[in-house]
Amino acid sequence: MNNHKTKAKKPISPVLIVIYILLVLLAVLYIAPLLWMLSVSLKDNPELMAAPFSLPKAFNWVNYAEAWTLGKLGIALLNSVFVCGVTLLVSLFFGSMAAFAIGRMRWKFSEAMGTFFLIGMMVPVHCILIPLFVRFSHMGLTNSRFGLMLPYITFSLPMTIFLMTGFFKSIPGELFESAAIDGCGIYRCFFQIALPLARTGFFVSGLMTFINNWNELLLAMVFISDPLKKTLPVTLTYFVGPYATNYVQMFAAIIIAIAPTVIVYCIFSNQIVEGLTTGAVKG
Amino acid sequence: MDKILRNKKAICIFIAPALIMFVLILIIPMFQMIYYSFCDYAALTPPSFVGLKNYQNLFFKDKTFRIALKNSMFFMVFSAVTQQVIGLLLAVLLTNIPKGRNVFKNIYYLPCVLSSAALGLLWAFLFNPRIGINQLLAKFGIEGPLWLMDSKGFIVLPMWVIAFVALWQYVGQNMMLYMAQITGISKEVYEASYIDGATKPKAFRYITLPLVKPMMVTSLSLNCIGSLKFFDLVYNMTQGGPNHRTEVLATELYAEGFNYFKYGYASAISVILLVFCLIVTLLVKRVIKVETYEG
Repeated sequence: MNNHKTKAKKPISPVLIVIYILLVLLAVLYIAPLLWMLSVSLKDNPELMAAPFSLPKAFNWVNYAEAWTLGKLGIALLNSVFVCGVTLLVSLFFGSMAAFAIGRMRWKFSEAMGTFFLIGMMVPVHCILIPLFVRFSHMGLTNSRFGLMLPYITFSLPMTIFLMTGFFKSIPGELFESAAIDGCGIYRCFFQIALPLARTGFFVSGLMTFINNWNELLLAMVFISDPLKKTLPVTLTYFVGPYATNYVQMFAAIIIAIAPTVIVYCIFSNQIVEGLTTGAVKG
Repeated sequence: MDKILRNKKAICIFIAPALIMFVLILIIPMFQMIYYSFCDYAALTPPSFVGLKNYQNLFFKDKTFRIALKNSMFFMVFSAVTQQVIGLLLAVLLTNIPKGRNVFKNIYYLPCVLSSAALGLLWAFLFNPRIGINQLLAKFGIEGPLWLMDSKGFIVLPMWVIAFVALWQYVGQNMMLYMAQITGISKEVYEASYIDGATKPKAFRYITLPLVKPMMVTSLSLNCIGSLKFFDLVYNMTQGGPNHRTEVLATELYAEGFNYFKYGYASAISVILLVFCLIVTLLVKRVIKVETYEG
């Protein structure tokens, strides 16, 4: 029966086989470097020099412990979570408020305001780096996590506002009308109708915001010099350059740094890929 | 209903936090940056207006800047061409295979969400002559080049290596955008064309290609602006070296501003970066729009 079924199927064309071989080779190119890194991170330095591409003879988990303490990765991880978490919440809240006013409320300049925020997407963060650094150092905001959050939030706003405006516009207007008839004020309309209905929007823009800021390097490098306040990507740059001698620890540090993202990605990859694509398509 | 949606006070309250932050942290600093770019401004002295001197120095005296400009241009063109072509190709292949589409898609997309600082370090070690792929090549009797330390040629080898890593990391983004567009094309269009005797390559040329064009605007502008802003991979793979040969605009800006504290000079570089970003965005929109009208 089973045999019969396979015979009844269309024969697999040689073109398809070639395509699959290509795709698998490419997948290897994507996964092999990551696996190589994992293998190196478990070796010791002499073994790495002698045979960089063999499997580790013994698992030196101590590399991870040392990278964790020497690189202050624990603090860096906490800093990253804190900075990105607050940025996420604030930018979503401020962004959705502005988006509601732009997309749902009726006033003369709503479209102009939308365009105005859109400009922000074209301005690279490099362009405000120096003036902002000068201003913040006068105000004592450099070297503080709060000072880092401010530009992070600001640069997350245009994308959030743009996406959320689209989501609010797609909510049927009758909902607000019937709520208004029942005596619902504008603030309740926003908090109790618009916000709960735009959950997909929050997911999409939140995801983009979080991933962008989690991986952000330049601002974090410029604004923070206290090792106890650095975020993960900045901490990793310590391991590069002339002082770098302990390779295996570096690899352990890189693994620790990307592990959270990889794990979350493996579990929710379909939702994440879809969410980020929706965001990019609309943006 | 209309009345509550025209509530001026509520509009102000809703828009104010975002607008204030946007103006204070993005708009005002941007204009300040433009002003600084016409000033002689080192960290400790107040800015003094010098007119176009910074720009003159940049374009006529500064060799490193010219290298950075050249590298950024190379990087943008290389990324735009390779990522668009390979991204579209992967999207077409993946939408046409019967099984495993999601698995491949998720694998290729993975590096896009990872920190390029971390991946830059990883690749820097893979191209390290002592422990990287040169050891693997040596087993086959091939002596690999000094990937990230070579400094010969118009576009130096390390720049090609960095461009390759960027391609590896970000091609998934373009692939996803195109896939989203292609899966939106209705199946009936293809079926009808097959009945009329179209082959798969022909269907690609006359159905897929014209219909994904709108996505090309998005994908290409994201691509070009991303390449112009490019910082993380270069910083972690070569730090602009050897001898400034892999400097790009962003690393050059960082070095002038925060290693040498030449704020005015660095501001001039960021003005140039901003102008490029605006030109590229407008150009991409203009060029591709014309094509869709003709098509």
